[in-house]
Amino acid sequence: MTTPVEAAESEEADPKTRTVCLVGMPNSGKTTLMNALTGGHFHTANYPGVTVSLLQGRSRKEWGPPMTLVDLPGVHSAVNPSPEEELSCEVIESRHSSVRADRFVLVVDATQLERHLKFAGFVARQGKPIVVALTMMDLLPRVGAQVDAAGLSRKLGVPVVAVDARHGEGVPELVSALQDAAGPPAGSSALATLGEQPAEAYRQVRTLLGDSDTLVQPEGLAVLVERDSLTARVDRIAMHRYLGFPIFLAVLIGLFASIFWFATPFMDAVDAAFAVSGDFVTGVFPDSMVAAFVAEGLIGGVGAVAVFLPQIIILFFLMTLLEDSGYLARGATLVDRPLSALGLHGRSFVPMLSGFACAIPAVFASRSIPTLRERLLTIWIIPLMSCSARLPVYALLLAALMSDVFRQGLALAAIYIASLLIGSMSAGVIGRFAFPDRAPSLLAMELPVYRIPRWKVILRMTWSRSSSYLRKAGMPIVVVAIVLWLLSSFGLGSAQPRFADTTAAPLVVPAEMDYSLAAQLGQATEPVLTPMGVDWRVGVGLISAFAAREVFVSAMAIVFHVEGEDEAVQSEGLLETMRTATFAGTDEPIFTPASIIGLIVFFFFSLQCISTVAVVRKETNSWRFAAVQLLFYTGLGYGAAVATVQGLRWFGVA
Amino acid sequence: MTLSNVAVAEWHRIHRLEGPDTECNRLQDLGFTPGEPVAVVRATPLGDPLVVVVRGTQLALRKREASWIVVE
Repeated sequence: MTTPVEAAESEEADPKTRTVCLVGMPNSGKTTLMNALTGGHFHTANYPGVTVSLLQGRSRKEWGPPMTLVDLPGVHSAVNPSPEEELSCEVIESRHSSVRADRFVLVVDATQLERHLKFAGFVARQGKPIVVALTMMDLLPRVGAQVDAAGLSRKLGVPVVAVDARHGEGVPELVSALQDAAGPPAGSSALATLGEQPAEAYRQVRTLLGDSDTLVQPEGLAVLVERDSLTARVDRIAMHRYLGFPIFLAVLIGLFASIFWFATPFMDAVDAAFAVSGDFVTGVFPDSMVAAFVAEGLIGGVGAVAVFLPQIIILFFLMTLLEDSGYLARGATLVDRPLSALGLHGRSFVPMLSGFACAIPAVFASRSIPTLRERLLTIWIIPLMSCSARLPVYALLLAALMSDVFRQGLALAAIYIASLLIGSMSAGVIGRFAFPDRAPSLLAMELPVYRIPRWKVILRMTWSRSSSYLRKAGMPIVVVAIVLWLLSSFGLGSAQPRFADTTAAPLVVPAEMDYSLAAQLGQATEPVLTPMGVDWRVGVGLISAFAAREVFVSAMAIVFHVEGEDEAVQSEGLLETMRTATFAGTDEPIFTPASIIGLIVFFFFSLQCISTVAVVRKETNSWRFAAVQLLFYTGLGYGAAVATVQGLRWFGVA
Repeated sequence: MTLSNVAVAEWHRIHRLEGPDTECNRLQDLGFTPGEPVAVVRATPLGDPLVVVVRGTQLALRKREASWIVVE
């Protein structure tokens, strides 16, 4: 595939390498149009240095030489832009280093011509060829208006094509207009000569459109309700004084329930599939070190990533669904008051919620927060949200702590609620001290009209977001899993009992877990672990958990020599072993109520996830932020765990 | 009078914007320009933010932001 840089250089030589960028305000129907232009074949583009995900595809062949199409994030305003908006502005103004556009499709909502054409002026000013795609034509009757594309084209001085992207009408015409647009650039059109001052530009747009100065009759709200009765009716309930929050809560609970219960059978299936393929490899080559590496290191590592995929896909699907229907903006509006009191933003609720599934998509989701301070603060508290990788760990520890299943459930619920409360509180505290400057903060969020969800687009977006998660989060997890496997499968030759009598021990040899490098690392950390009331074997589990927290369970099974075909048998056996485990050479039990609660507290705070650190580094573009976050939370987790264990002992709890 | 203390469902004309520069510039860019009719459509359950309509678009504005919009 040609890169956009090359495309810009050879632009007139070969129309096939032309890059066309779709730009417009949010909710203008860009993604639906992208779907229609590419016939549904688009993917997340990979541009160097671009963290915002861009959709890229090629126009369908039957409409002439295919062009490369890039869907840029929607822009409300080029004034004081959010990170997403900033990227689009850079591309529009040809300031971006890797994404270059040869021409633009300006996606304009026909029901909101004024605001969208005002933005169109900004794009036309850059002097590149543009074609205006008029969308939402089917909604015009709902607002009682009519728009004539040909007339508009004459007034604006640029080609205007009415499209109905859902049914594909007007899309071939749009493509041929794009191919013809090589001639005069938009620089001299009426659109491009709009003023740069908002007030002036809006006045000029209105003059162009031939409206009188008073677009809305001051007859009261009746006019407005008439404009879109469906949205008004739904909002009366969705933002109702007493019903608003119960409905929001019901939506959140529904979301949670789907993420956890609906995903469980799929997660079990993925888990089983990886276990079976691992066993198959070791079964075929029973004594091969390479086979063991492939089965346990490689397949196990990939499995650790893949097991979360069902949850991530369901999360992305439901989030895209809520976003597309128009409810997400309402939810963000409802909770803006409490969140902004903490120094966060109404939109922070999406990352916080996603954080309960996985911190990585949550960090991605924070991109839509327009102001830097609120965005960084949101990213700061995401690791406190109880992600689903902690669930197997809590399940094991709570089962070891108490036998009553109902009480285990209550305790788990308490942990989840505590993570939300402590996360919010820490935003309030940290925001006041660590991010003290009252940087610009603005809600001013558009509430789009409610629409029937566009399933095709939602499914496409879900797929492209999920595969982007796999690529960005997958690598670190697999690498860490492989490193940990190597550490636990090899040991220093001098440390092996079988070489104890010889002086010519090889430096590194395959080793049993007890004599491996991981065990030695664990033993080295034992002085640090003693205050937490655990021994080096738990330390190995804690170190392994940096690949992904749930690895703690399987690592513990390995260090405590628990055999088991699948997870259920394994954790039964592990529980049994944990009840009888004692510190080496004594009969003092390791897993006492105090030490188990200490471990729960440790997992509650500690940032044990290399992938999260890597993603935070990328999104904040700051090693310092990521490193401080890692050290702060892991240090806090350790401190809190030690305080808990010692405190409980002081109160007489063993 | 500012947009933060007008009655619901009442049209007013924007007189001027009075607040921090960057924020007010963005508000103007979003359509809140002097002379333009605006109305508060509804308050959210907690009373803040407000749902405001300008140029045929609904926007959620914090009361603090609405107080920068001086209306006639």
